[in-house]
Amino acid sequence: MNTENVDGITVALPSGRLDFGAAAAFQQQLEQAVAAKPRGLVVDCSSLDYVSSAGLRVFLVAARAAKAASVGFAVSSLKPAVKEVFDLTGFGNVITLCADRAAAVAALA
Amino acid sequence: MKTASWQLPGEASQLPNALGFLQGFWEEAELPAALGFTFELALEEVFLNVALHGADGSRVPSVVLELTACDTEVVLIVSDDARPFDPLTLATPDTTAALEDRTIGGLGVHLVRQMMDTVTYSHETGRNRLRMTKNLNQP
Repeated sequence: MNTENVDGITVALPSGRLDFGAAAAFQQQLEQAVAAKPRGLVVDCSSLDYVSSAGLRVFLVAARAAKAASVGFAVSSLKPAVKEVFDLTGFGNVITLCADRAAAVAALA
Repeated sequence: MKTASWQLPGEASQLPNALGFLQGFWEEAELPAALGFTFELALEEVFLNVALHGADGSRVPSVVLELTACDTEVVLIVSDDARPFDPLTLATPDTTAALEDRTIGGLGVHLVRQMMDTVTYSHETGRNRLRMTKNLNQP
């Protein structure tokens, strides 16, 4: 997974499928990103095609870790199918979802 | 009408093979890609439930996947010979709970029930059988 730094905010870019097989590596990368104590952490999902409950769990774990470390956390650019999974589980109620990366960075600034 | 079935060991490491079977069927039957997401998700959730919770000691359950597509609907049946368990009896997760109180248990089955048109469980001839359908005209 690629990460970028925008004004002290780490932007993580998962791509393809976030399923059971990919979840552990994704979780490790997000935990490392939080541990580096950036101003904020944005997960830009513009290249993410698929997420299952195993993948959702990683967003939950990362959101909690970020909160505990006082690091702002936001998720952006969800494709419609992925957004449906967030909506059906109510994850959008507890995780900040933004239409695009710029909005997410602005939300954490 | 197109049908295909495949038997495989109920182990988490088999998930990519299970998905490969589904994707192969999807291409062959020329089914809509958008609907493929729903079925891939359902297959992952249901297959992993069997693989991660259905094992009885060291015995690996046997799983059979059956796919049927006709003009009006697609049907996926996942059956296994693990101990009898109806996943539809799992409590609906609280999708309004606060961040700290969220749990993942039951979320997969909740997603499957929300995304499919019908989900039915039966136990027949020693096998758990979960049947999921989606209407092709109402994606």
